[in-house]
Amino acid sequence: MNPFRLSLQALATLIPLALLAIFVFLTAYSWPAIHFNGVRFLFSSTWNLGNLYADPVVRDGYSIAVGAQYGIAVFIVGTLASSVIALLIAIPVGIGVALFLSEYAPRRMLSVLSQIAELLAMVPSVVYGLWGLQVLAPIVLRDISPVVSRTLGFIPFFSGPATSGYNLLTAGLVLALMVVPVISSTLIEAMQRVPTDVRESCFALGATRAEMIGKILLPMVRTPLIGAAILALGRALGETMAVLMVSGGALNYLPSTIFSPITSMAAFIASQLDSALQDPSGMAVRSLAEIALVLLVIAVIVNVIARLLTYQVRGARHG
Amino acid sequence: MTSSYRQIRLRKTVAIAGFVTLTAAAAFSANAQAAQTSLLETGSTLLYPLFNLWVPAYTNAHPDIKITTQGTGSGTGIAQAISGVAQVGASDAYMSNGQIKQSPSILNIPLAISAQTINYNVPGLNNVHLKLDGPVLAGIYSGSIKNWNDAQIKALNPKVNLPDHAIVPIHRTDGSGDTFIFSQYLSSSTPSWSNSVGYGTTISWPAVQGGVGANGNPGMVQASQQTPYSIAYIGVSFHDQISKAGLGTAMLKNKAGNFVLPTKKTVNAAASAMNGKTPADERLSLVFAPGADSYPIINYEYAIVNAKQADATTATALRNLLDWAVSPTGGNSAKYLDQVRFVPLPAKIAALSKAQIAKIQ
Repeated sequence: MNPFRLSLQALATLIPLALLAIFVFLTAYSWPAIHFNGVRFLFSSTWNLGNLYADPVVRDGYSIAVGAQYGIAVFIVGTLASSVIALLIAIPVGIGVALFLSEYAPRRMLSVLSQIAELLAMVPSVVYGLWGLQVLAPIVLRDISPVVSRTLGFIPFFSGPATSGYNLLTAGLVLALMVVPVISSTLIEAMQRVPTDVRESCFALGATRAEMIGKILLPMVRTPLIGAAILALGRALGETMAVLMVSGGALNYLPSTIFSPITSMAAFIASQLDSALQDPSGMAVRSLAEIALVLLVIAVIVNVIARLLTYQVRGARHG
Repeated sequence: MTSSYRQIRLRKTVAIAGFVTLTAAAAFSANAQAAQTSLLETGSTLLYPLFNLWVPAYTNAHPDIKITTQGTGSGTGIAQAISGVAQVGASDAYMSNGQIKQSPSILNIPLAISAQTINYNVPGLNNVHLKLDGPVLAGIYSGSIKNWNDAQIKALNPKVNLPDHAIVPIHRTDGSGDTFIFSQYLSSSTPSWSNSVGYGTTISWPAVQGGVGANGNPGMVQASQQTPYSIAYIGVSFHDQISKAGLGTAMLKNKAGNFVLPTKKTVNAAASAMNGKTPADERLSLVFAPGADSYPIINYEYAIVNAKQADATTATALRNLLDWAVSPTGGNSAKYLDQVRFVPLPAKIAALSKAQIAKIQ
């Protein structure tokens, strides 16, 4: 084999190796925490670093801070809830944006706006976070939440009033804004790839534009849509800074309504690391690593589901 | 075709630009490093503005010293001072016995005295100094006092027309010396808080539905400004932002039972009351100090320093810098401290700090 190809192959193996290395590192580093925390870790809503100013005590054979207890149910729920809300908003909006630009807008507008959409996908998340904190949070408190609780308030989950602008809804909205460009730019590309012949034969058979879109175009881009949604979900699940800034940092209680503050796993790791470093027993940092491991596992599961879904959709079409 | 060609060209341009910048930066830093000693300060975001006042003044007089400052949080400051990444770890909280046991060569050197204000955003009452005490604040932050017109708040403010509205307690989500001294005030004034929650740079906040977490002191100011009927604890160096945001400042009950505002006089009174109690290693909480005029939430701002430095040049540079910082004619002069609303170290404490600084080698 020639050396060029060999070196390319070596480079290509770096990617799976990096994933493996991260997984192995996280597992090895958090192993004492995994062992100490057990399954409780996933289902308990109490997170307490314990008294870091007293001497550590030995419990179950591990040295830990007095009163320490590590449970991340609040953060798992916060992560999933904010991401789901983001997708529920972003998917219809993303489809709408893509449809308009690809099917209705003039060519020139398409090229300009789709490039802007791609640019938006590259804006650093802290910018969205800052905007969410400065602009969106007061609007959510003052304008959006009264409307939501008035129209949907009969469902307990939407009953208000909101007491602050930092909550599940704000986090979901900021995340939605971040992932709309991801969805729409993928969809625009997919719609552009649908051959003009298909559209024209549709029209030739007497279909209206709406019928062409509903019966031909959308089913044809279903696979890329699922892919884009999963990509968006991945970004929302792992988003740290923007969520940290607008979520309200809930601790020790699960959200009761869409106006409750929440915390996501990634944001919690970032916010707690500084104090966890002060734990002389080291269990706090290892428990944070365990959160990272859980987040990684969730990301892998989401990706596997996405693969299966796209595979199924494709299989159904060809079969 | 054209677009991919353009992309390649763009990438090339970026790569070349990056390379040029890198080389330029390397050349520049090589020049700057000639015969200079570099010190890295990192940690507390409360001390960060003070270091940013100190550093230009100090390095102007000592061009052979290069000091980099970073606001990263007290815990990071301590960790990096221990690992040797930073020469000065800035911290609002002193290190625990457990940490000292693990790293016995680490010194906790007070550089100045800071205080904390309790601020609120109650429409119509922000120009009134509400009277609050530890048990009431503990009640608010643990959810047993839910409304502004609660009987316990009314009892402290009989003449104020308090609104019937839910209180939104705001706490810090990041590790913070402010959380440390606030929870120390609650712990030392309220036994039930001490038994159930305790104190630390982050604590396991009791579940209060609607309670909000904010990031950093700027985040605290902003969250309380944007959230009517909220209450927050904020470092005194953010005084200007607090008044710009139009927040109210509470009078707090001290150990003697008097309600006091955070002023130079009351902070000084508290600091001098704790003078004689400060041990040689200077790890001491100044919260809830005795004395009729003492403001209850003050603290030493620490430089966390490893007594064993990598080499003699660094050690000398570090000793000189810290000696200057604690001297009343140097870093502890009103010229710097007034800008961040810190109070200088009392002479006796400055002497203790100097004795610790002399141990750096």
